[in-house]
Amino acid sequence: MTLLALAAVGKDYARVKPRGGRVRLVWDLLHERAAKDVFRALDGVSFAIERGESLGVIGENGAGKSTLLKIIAGVIKPTRGTVESNGRVGALLELGSGFHPEYTGLANIDLAAALLGLAPSEIAASRERIIDFAGLGEHIREPIKHYSSGMVVRLGFAVATALAPDILITDEVLAVGDESFQKKCIAWMERYLAEGGTLLFCSHSMFHVQKLCSHAMWLKDGCVERYGISADVTRDYLAYHEEKEARAKEGVPRARAESAGWYAVQRLALDADCVEQGADLTIDGEVYAPDDRAPVVVIGVVRADGTPVFGVTSDMDRVALRDAGDHRWMFRMTLTRLPLQPGRYAIRAHAADPEGVRVFDHVERTLTVRGETRELGLVHLRHRWHDEVER
Amino acid sequence: MTARDRALLANFYRREVAVRYLGSTTGLLWALVHPLVLLGVYHFVFTTIFRATGFAGESFLAFVAVALWPWLAAQEALQRGTVAMGNYAGMIRKVAFPHELAVYASVGATFTLQLAGYVVVLIVLAVAGQGIHLAGLVVAIPVWAVVCVAVTGVALALAALQVFIRDIEHILMPVLMIVMYLTPILYPLTLVPASVRPWVAANPFAWMAGRLRDALLDGHLALHPGDAAAAVVALILFAAGRAVFRRLSPHFEDFV
Repeated sequence: MTLLALAAVGKDYARVKPRGGRVRLVWDLLHERAAKDVFRALDGVSFAIERGESLGVIGENGAGKSTLLKIIAGVIKPTRGTVESNGRVGALLELGSGFHPEYTGLANIDLAAALLGLAPSEIAASRERIIDFAGLGEHIREPIKHYSSGMVVRLGFAVATALAPDILITDEVLAVGDESFQKKCIAWMERYLAEGGTLLFCSHSMFHVQKLCSHAMWLKDGCVERYGISADVTRDYLAYHEEKEARAKEGVPRARAESAGWYAVQRLALDADCVEQGADLTIDGEVYAPDDRAPVVVIGVVRADGTPVFGVTSDMDRVALRDAGDHRWMFRMTLTRLPLQPGRYAIRAHAADPEGVRVFDHVERTLTVRGETRELGLVHLRHRWHDEVER
Repeated sequence: MTARDRALLANFYRREVAVRYLGSTTGLLWALVHPLVLLGVYHFVFTTIFRATGFAGESFLAFVAVALWPWLAAQEALQRGTVAMGNYAGMIRKVAFPHELAVYASVGATFTLQLAGYVVVLIVLAVAGQGIHLAGLVVAIPVWAVVCVAVTGVALALAALQVFIRDIEHILMPVLMIVMYLTPILYPLTLVPASVRPWVAANPFAWMAGRLRDALLDGHLALHPGDAAAAVVALILFAAGRAVFRRLSPHFEDFV
């Protein structure tokens, strides 16, 4: 059964000019005119969650994660698209689940119940459990404005969990709790999922997303960048960050065209952008040489963040490039039974002078390696255990 | 209103009463002391310093008290209602609920407590022989109800506007001050020069003051022709205020 379905959901926020802009905005809103100057926080988001499924929402700060969760929780209405929800939604957004700062912890428990339409008497039984789970001791009788952020989250989590929601939405709750509370939360969420609960989990911890969610969605600039099995999406997301960091470090020069007088890689092609671990990969290319001597090509494999994995030059292997005339020299090589671990890599080619001493430009192509392995590290090393295999 | 909204409103209302009046040390006492002190000061200024006359033989205390309390209730309700969204900002940003409930709770709690103080003061004045007809409460309480409905409407509009335009709260105070002096609360309508009297009488609060004095000081319990008009005006204000609020409330989350 589909518990939650979003179709082409988008949300615009009005951008307001400092002077008089707000008066103008109110005027427009009162006349039900859409604000003219808007920021697209979210656009064209569609997905469905079945009962018992769990979805991790990942993305950079400002990517629209919180906006999406708020739309699902019903706190804001989407500007475009529809949200269909068939169950009780419990939400923990931006620390706490809508507490009133003046109320005591106890009063906020009653408030949370009222928000779900329950009379205080109806949650009498759960109240003890909430107080126990939150573990705030005497602070439960104090107004929560005196709580630390960690304490608010503890109470929020305790409340959201005790009221048995069909969908639990959590936004970065685990970031503020202490170690032992985090463990308690994770244990609770795992049990909740095992019992058929549905989780919508927003986090910057890929570890937690992989651990708790079957699916993941990567939001980028308000749009869905990728949606799928959480292991794949988180891997791509991490690779994206590695690439971004690498780019920030060196300002990677991308494929440069003809540079007259210099040795240059004119063309670099892979037979596939995406290969299975253990498959063959063929690299094709062409190097420009200003004179008539055969140039040397350097082929390198680096991880998306720039960590070198492997490198070889044509002269090391005593291979000569084929002369294609007109100063063009061709090469073609196959990396057999690619032992790279699943992830994102780049294949680089550098043109070097015939002596293989001076390296000129650098052209790269990205490569994704897919696989189901749970091994760690960059490459698969062939290995053999001397102990019995467990049955 | 769904069962959930009713439970929520009851919760807000209880808290508004408890946190605001019973929670602080001065508490409920202050809700009663403030109007009493004001009443004392007005009495001193008007009867001892200005030696004002023309209260149709009635005691100045009873004359002012009858109309001052509902005015103070309206004034306080407008002020509290205007900032209600700010007080519930944490919830507005994180939970889905009808935002207008916060205004209802705010205004409702203020009116309930001021009405309680009013009844106490009227009983004290009646016992002290200040010529109060307690039977007039039969009219006075519906009059309060009409004022409450109208004030709720205005408070809804102000609360919604305050989210976007923060000056509302600061403009409100002087405006209320001006309205108070233009309303026959401290003086009878009969003292107003005939040329401007219709303008002063057109003030809805003038209707309120007139009806309360009529019922509580003179003991007239009959309905007036203006009563129906007042009720209609109150309902229109409420409907208009709520329409403004509902247009703007989907956008609160971003601005509150």
